[in-house]
Amino acid sequence: MFKVKVRTKLKASIVALLLWTGLAGLCGVRALGEPQSPAAQADPARESWRKEFDDVCSKTQDAMTFSQEELTDLIRRCDALRPQIEKLDESRKKVYLGRLRMCRGLYAYVLDAKRNEKK
Amino acid sequence: MNKKIFIALALILVFCGSVLSQTGVKKKRPLPYEYGRVVIDNYSEKANLAPVVFEHWIHRSMFTCRVCHVDVGFAMKAGGTDIKAADNERGYYCGACHNGKRTVEGKTVFQACTKKMVGEDAKRCERCHSYGLKVASDFDFFQFSQPLPKERFGNGLDWEKSELLGLIKPASSLEGVSTQKSSLAVQKDFALNPKVEGMPDIIFSHKKHTVWNGCELCHPDIFMGVKRGTVKYSMVDISQGKSCGACHTTVAFPLTDCQRCHSKPVA
Repeated sequence: MFKVKVRTKLKASIVALLLWTGLAGLCGVRALGEPQSPAAQADPARESWRKEFDDVCSKTQDAMTFSQEELTDLIRRCDALRPQIEKLDESRKKVYLGRLRMCRGLYAYVLDAKRNEKK
Repeated sequence: MNKKIFIALALILVFCGSVLSQTGVKKKRPLPYEYGRVVIDNYSEKANLAPVVFEHWIHRSMFTCRVCHVDVGFAMKAGGTDIKAADNERGYYCGACHNGKRTVEGKTVFQACTKKMVGEDAKRCERCHSYGLKVASDFDFFQFSQPLPKERFGNGLDWEKSELLGLIKPASSLEGVSTQKSSLAVQKDFALNPKVEGMPDIIFSHKKHTVWNGCELCHPDIFMGVKRGTVKYSMVDISQGKSCGACHTTVAFPLTDCQRCHSKPVA
């Protein structure tokens, strides 16, 4: 009699567990929706490197107006970003290292031009 | 009589041969709708797909050069970007726009690459992987170019005037990709002296160039000289794709349109 009770309880628990697992699975799928591309998953608000990248490289239009000290600081910030970008996945690394190279290159170019002006 | 014809033909053949051996074969001038076309085949054929045919004219009518070559990250030389299908699929390079979600000019841009090719997907691949195939495009160059002001070379269009007249509106940023930049302070035009005497000076307009390119697209990769006059430019180098030739042999109006650069009247 006791054995039968245990078995029934065990069966009921297994069924409940399976139901819960299935339900959780279903909810999980609904919550996630379609698998998103890493580009879409990469939320700039969450990624500090991206914030810093946007901040540093959004100033290229104003490069000519910066002092030598400001330009040197921007170059330093670009250099500090590089190791962080190198840790990203292959695609992002390729894109952002290229963009960083252009952005740093411009600041270094303008800095050179300004140093030359003073000579 | 036959002997004379044979000798004459032999002489013509020798003459043509000697001329060609010195100067090479003349390049075929691309037709207006072909100008700026890039064929990309880093991995396509290895994956049993036709190489990608990229038409600059349709893309440049929608975006400035900087959006694609700075923000999206396309190299300035064909094949230099090393684009992989996986990059596109992850939402980079072509996939930055061609993701089946982004809308441009009211149209949803078709998705570029997918791992799973089911039914219609194969047809979609051919929209880009179209080299050597007969694929109908959504855009017709002749229809597109009809209302635009004309020029003599390249695509046969005055792109700058087209924008000024509001006939094209190339976007200067791409949401989620571009960094927000302030508007660029207007730089003064300057004159460059040509090497050949009697040739009109080149009037270089920074304004015209930066409006589509920004700064970092040209400096320092294409123009590295920091002091005016220190770097000498030659037409030979330019025609080989250096300095101005990076764009003016491929996409922007070609070198045959001399007076568009050599524009200062000779005193």
